[in-house]
Amino acid sequence: MEFWEAKLKNKLPVIITFGSLALIPLFVGDYWISQLNYYLVYGLFALSLSLVWGYGGILCLGQAIFFGIGAYVMAVTTKGMISPILMNSYIGLALAILCSAAFAALLGSFLFAGKGINGAYLAIVTLAIAIVLERLMSNWYLLGGYNGLLDVPPLNLGAFGYDIELWDSLPAFYTLWVIVFSVAIGLTYLVRSDYGILLTSIKTNPDRLAYFGFSILKLKLSVFCLSAAIAGLAGALFVTIDGFASPTLIGFTLSTEVLIWVAIGGKEVLLAAFLGAIATRIAESWLSEIFGDYWILILGITFMVSVVLLPKGLIATPLSHIGKRLSIKID
Amino acid sequence: MSFLELRSITKRFGGLKAVDDFSLSLEKGSLTALIGPNGCGKSTTFNLISGTFTPDDGSIHFDGIDISLLPAQQIARLGVGRKFQVPAIFPELTVFQNLKVPTLQSKSYFSRSGSNHMLLEILSQIRLNKKSDTPASQLSHGEKQWLEIGMILAQAPKLILLDEPTAGMTATETAATAELIKDINKSGDVTILVIEHDIGFIEQLQCPLTVMARGQVLKSGSFDTIRNDKEVQELYFGKEASAHA
Repeated sequence: MEFWEAKLKNKLPVIITFGSLALIPLFVGDYWISQLNYYLVYGLFALSLSLVWGYGGILCLGQAIFFGIGAYVMAVTTKGMISPILMNSYIGLALAILCSAAFAALLGSFLFAGKGINGAYLAIVTLAIAIVLERLMSNWYLLGGYNGLLDVPPLNLGAFGYDIELWDSLPAFYTLWVIVFSVAIGLTYLVRSDYGILLTSIKTNPDRLAYFGFSILKLKLSVFCLSAAIAGLAGALFVTIDGFASPTLIGFTLSTEVLIWVAIGGKEVLLAAFLGAIATRIAESWLSEIFGDYWILILGITFMVSVVLLPKGLIATPLSHIGKRLSIKID
Repeated sequence: MSFLELRSITKRFGGLKAVDDFSLSLEKGSLTALIGPNGCGKSTTFNLISGTFTPDDGSIHFDGIDISLLPAQQIARLGVGRKFQVPAIFPELTVFQNLKVPTLQSKSYFSRSGSNHMLLEILSQIRLNKKSDTPASQLSHGEKQWLEIGMILAQAPKLILLDEPTAGMTATETAATAELIKDINKSGDVTILVIEHDIGFIEQLQCPLTVMARGQVLKSGSFDTIRNDKEVQELYFGKEASAHA
């Protein structure tokens, strides 16, 4: 009972959400399963932004930088462009995570050093870097240039010469499900830990923390790098299901898209950000069939409504109401 | 050398000397108040000790170390805790979580807290034990002041700087705060320097005073000596008295 109260109860929303997701393939066809795979990856990407923005208070408008780095590193590694010895999904994923985090560490050291850049300035600088990198990738012919890298192989769970390649969407789905679920549970645990307390305090009053002896730089870097690592993982998983790494994965459009998913869902609740990504993608596929390109207008209006009327998010607001009623804290 | 020693420090802002050849030394375990009219350089002095600014001239030694040029974060790690004039707490966190924040500095983020016992003691010391799980945003102004004092205790500093700890408090709260500060000082391990405007509060503290005017030391001594000093009366008490009359 105590275990229930202390450990399990507050993780129930995440467990129920992912439990239901796991059942969906029983009822839908192959097309929707492959769509679900994209949703899981986008949801993972949204989790990364929710962590750094909603919990860490760092508005990164160029989150696709890390998604794109993860995507390209995974593509280059598993296509054997670095070395045939490294042609392995596990190595690819590890390198993708590592490179994204390393780039975040480098970038963050400049952004947060000294007094640091905050708020809108930080947003604009990160956005500019995303645009620069998109241009760079479009002109880097060794990495496919504007056309990107085609024929990226799917995840291969085998090792030591045995191949278990996930060409079908169903096994890919459950593999992605395990990965994304683990990250989601891990993040839920993290934001409830003492580290989560520090994130809230650095978000609300970073200057105060210096007078308790904290290094603001280290704290901000830690959450920035962790978020980048998760975004990099999402990007790496994306190319394994899409088979294609292109400059759009690193640029402006995807950066703003993920921002809208997370804002609509609710940036301060991980689960809401995750569901926000999925809900927006589903809405996109339905609405764009009916309205064509005008669906963007609907998305824009929804975004404005959510920012003005429900700044906590369209999904986070009802979620936290339910949570309060059941006395569960939803993260 | 004294525990805290400011040796003729000067801080200029443009043409203005906010702190001008100011010296002060505190013995270990002492309780001292720093008073003076608005704009006399009290808060700037705190900013110089805690590392917000660095002095243009002179030096600051704390526990044998020259801290004049160190950044705030390192000075805090050496054992200087500072309470701000406007309570600087974390409104989104609960009272207990607020107290926990300073303890997280010296250990790994992920370890389970072993210092809960100490925090519970602080909680009752600052009279907030019934509000442990209340969000700090819901506290009264006086309670927020106490919470910040509690956070500084959780930091376990050797020197505590209190910038107007009773600002916005009722008379009862002010009296309780005086008791709290004396209680903290009683052990003799903690040195305290208080900036205060409220003369009634200083009287309750029963501690030596340094009066500051135009960035310099005007007088130092016991409460009674200072109260009976003509120059100080003119500068400070006189004005106060006439303002309150």
